[in-house]
Amino acid sequence: MNIMTLQRYKNEIILFLTALFAISAYYYKFSANNYVDENKAFIQKQISEIVEIESYKKQWKSKGIANKVKLFKTIVPASKIKLFSKKSSKVTVSYINLTTNELNKITNKLLSMPVQIIKLQIKESSKNKFTMEFTCKW
Amino acid sequence: MPTLNLTAKSNNKLLIHKHMKPIISLDNSIDIILTPQFYTFIREELDVKFSYQAKQIATSLFDDYLENNHEYQYHVYKCDNFWCFFAYNIKVIELFLESVGIEKHRVSKIYFAQQLIDKLENPILLDDNSVLQSIDNVVTLVPLQIIDTNVEYNSLDINSFKLKGGVTMGSSLNSYVSLKETILLSSIFCILGGISIFEGNRIKRSIANDNAKLTELLDENPRYTSSLARESILTKYAPIDKKERAKRQAIKDISKFLSNKSQLKTLSIDKNSIQAKITTENRSISKQIKEHSRNKKFKFSGASLDVKVEKKL
Repeated sequence: MNIMTLQRYKNEIILFLTALFAISAYYYKFSANNYVDENKAFIQKQISEIVEIESYKKQWKSKGIANKVKLFKTIVPASKIKLFSKKSSKVTVSYINLTTNELNKITNKLLSMPVQIIKLQIKESSKNKFTMEFTCKW
Repeated sequence: MPTLNLTAKSNNKLLIHKHMKPIISLDNSIDIILTPQFYTFIREELDVKFSYQAKQIATSLFDDYLENNHEYQYHVYKCDNFWCFFAYNIKVIELFLESVGIEKHRVSKIYFAQQLIDKLENPILLDDNSVLQSIDNVVTLVPLQIIDTNVEYNSLDINSFKLKGGVTMGSSLNSYVSLKETILLSSIFCILGGISIFEGNRIKRSIANDNAKLTELLDENPRYTSSLARESILTKYAPIDKKERAKRQAIKDISKFLSNKSQLKTLSIDKNSIQAKITTENRSISKQIKEHSRNKKFKFSGASLDVKVEKKL
């Protein structure tokens, strides 16, 4: 194809090239759309999983818990603490002669603390007096 | 050492007149200069500023000079204080060019002999019968018979000078698609292409933020890259979270069952269930507790004033 033929069909060549550009650009948009459709859900799922894991770990594997559970040792007078045992990431506490208010206070603290309640036992020992025993881990 | 040529290379020029000799072969493109045999020329003083405005009135200007049954093309340029108008029939020119062996696609630009006005103060001999001469500033074809025999003829090397403002030998006229259609369709294609690229980029950018966030999270926690690792951790923590929330909610529900007419006797949580015993002052309270238990999906038992509620975790 010599330069004269190119010149002769200049208009057709321009049209062909611009049409090719339009088609390529449309294909690019189409591919971008497909790429996003295929990947967006997958990427968001990964993000939500990681965020969920982080949130679980923060909730149930918090590093400050070991200190926070010491609160159960001071929340009521020492005379009412029958047992306080903290080993590794586990704590066992036993109280006696708790008043209703004390019982409520300990229970609220326990519920708001990010620990796994392995065992909880509350018993009325006498009129408005309770014993409480729980084991938690984190 | 090759020299760098930054100027456009001009084509060979050919003066086109009706008695010219046929061209044997053409290897390169050429520019042609039409003699007045192929165009009609008018010079007018007009109060217009731009050539497109002048071109708009060209048709009406030539009304009295041209045959109505032909389609003409017009060319106009400013010549001193006047506007120089040319009307020509491209079909006639094409047919003539073919008849003398010039393929129309070989023709790059068309010029008019009027543009040689400065060079034609003395006539030039065109063929055995005619000369080309400027008369009253109009390049005119004059029969040789009426020229004074003593007149001195010029020799004109038309390739030695540059002409401006020629008409592109309509690539549009040679093509299947006209120039106007080409410009229109190409513009549409370019706009559509541009919009598509813009849209494509916008679509891709919509995922870029998520991608960046994921990369950041994975950089902080490389071991979460594996979906198996993530699933394993989720499998470990999700049941803990669910169970612990259920335990806390159950304790809160039981506390709401209690009133000043009921008293908690025992409450226990083990691995799989939560149980509580509540003693009440009268049957209606115990009935109320049972009702609440049902609503909160606790199992309940106890026929007298004591109510036992239980829920599986």
